[in-house]
This record gives sequence, structure tokens and C-alpha cells, in this order.
Amino acid sequence: MTHEIVFDKPAAQREKLITELYKSAFPTVAKYVSKMGGSFDDAKDIFQDALVIYYEKAVGGDLSLQSSEKAYLLGITKHLWFKKFRDGNNNLPLDNCIEGFDITDEADEQPSTNKLMHYLETAGKKCMELLSAFYYHKLPMKEVAGLFGYAGERSATVQKYKCIEKVRETVKEQSLAYEDFIE
Amino acid sequence: MRTSLNEIKEIDDHVLKQAAPDEALLFEAQLIINPELKYQVLWHKQTLSLVQQYGRNNLRAEIEAVHQKLFSQPEHEGFRQKIMRLFRKR
Repeated sequence: MTHEIVFDKPAAQREKLITELYKSAFPTVAKYVSKMGGSFDDAKDIFQDALVIYYEKAVGGDLSLQSSEKAYLLGITKHLWFKKFRDGNNNLPLDNCIEGFDITDEADEQPSTNKLMHYLETAGKKCMELLSAFYYHKLPMKEVAGLFGYAGERSATVQKYKCIEKVRETVKEQSLAYEDFIE
Repeated sequence: MRTSLNEIKEIDDHVLKQAAPDEALLFEAQLIINPELKYQVLWHKQTLSLVQQYGRNNLRAEIEAVHQKLFSQPEHEGFRQKIMRLFRKR
């Protein structure tokens, strides 16, 4: 059975989902990693990456319903373990693993991403929360409106575009500053 | 909506490939005519990429919080032992 991800209280629902997945799938994953000679920390790292992948696929509607979540998580784990083994490191296995969001890489290449992220986490927190609710957690706009206290879908949508404008302005400034720097 | 917000909507629809076929075609044409628009699209993509990263960072923090709970709270003792048994020194 694949979990239906319910959005009425998103953070609480996520916690419940993560806990359930941990309880149902982590023992199998840990057993596999242990059998392959990995440590508890290896199992933890790989399982947490697998959960992120599972979650992003689930909210993106990319999960096939044929296999159970446990089988799915174990499948990703094996893939990540193999990859870790082959590459001899575990540098951000997610970057090459998740398809379908091909715009991920571009900001990563900017040397100022961390600084920018830090700035946005503080100065632009409300916008980042709203934008990630919509673009990352893929909550329907109606839910986003309720969650952030907007009268309706329409005003939340307007706010979404205002937030993009605001964040984009910061990105643009950084990007121009960087161009000056390399020239 | 303000003109600038409508423009953002158009860029967003283009980036997420959600524009209707006729609008998509119009946007492609605008991209050719208006070089500035290319930059707008680029910054838009970078913005969404940051949002994606922000969301993922927060999800990771939530996952770690669950992990800490499961491996510290007394009510999950059985689960914890079951896991730890797998990693005894061989």
C-alpha cells in the first residue's frame, strides 16, 4: 500500500508519514546495509536520502502503485548503496538520482548559494515557506491559502507571484554581483 | 494582477511547461524578440531551484527529528534494539 499524503496539517502529517516509514522500512534497510558490511550511520544516511527521494516522488505523483513503499525504499537503498560503493564516496547522492526537476543544478553551481540561502532563510522566510509549500511539497493552492491565512486561492496566488518577484530580485542582485566579480 | 506579476506567471507557466499551446508559442516568440526575457527565465529557474533546496533542507531536518525521537524516546525502545542488534560487532 502506498501512503496517501494528506495535507490538512502538513507538517504533522509529514512527521506521521516519516515515522511510519521508519518503523515499517528501516529494519529491512538496516538489515541490508548491515549484511553489506555497512555501519549504523551508513544505514541512517542512506535511508534518509531514500526517504527524501520517496517523498519527492510521492508528492510529484511519480510513484508507481505496483510496489509497496517498503519495497520501494529498499530498492532506492540498494541503488544508493551500490552508487556509494562504486563512487567511493557519498557526496550528495541525491543530485544525480532525482530526475524530473532538472533545474536543480543551476543554483548549486553559484558559489554564493549558501550565502543566498542563509539570507533567504532569515529575511525571506515567510516567502520561502509559502513558495516551498507550493513548489516543493506541492500542496494545492487552496491549502496553501488556508495555511498562510489568505482569504482564498486567488490572493494566495497573487502572493506567490509577489514572493517569486522578491526572491528573484535577490537572486538577480547576487548573480549580477557575481558577474562583476568574475569579469 | 500587476503587469509584472502577470509576466512572472507567464514565465512560471513556461518553466513548468504548463502554458497552453498558443501561449507557449507566443512566449517562444517573445523569447526571441526580447533578450531580457531570457535572463528573467534564468533567474526564475534559479529562484525555483533555491525553493526546491529550501524545501529539501527542511524535509531533511524533519526526518532527522523523527530519527532522534525514535532513537531516544523510551516508547521506541523495542524498535531501537531491533535495529542496534543488526550492527553488533561481528
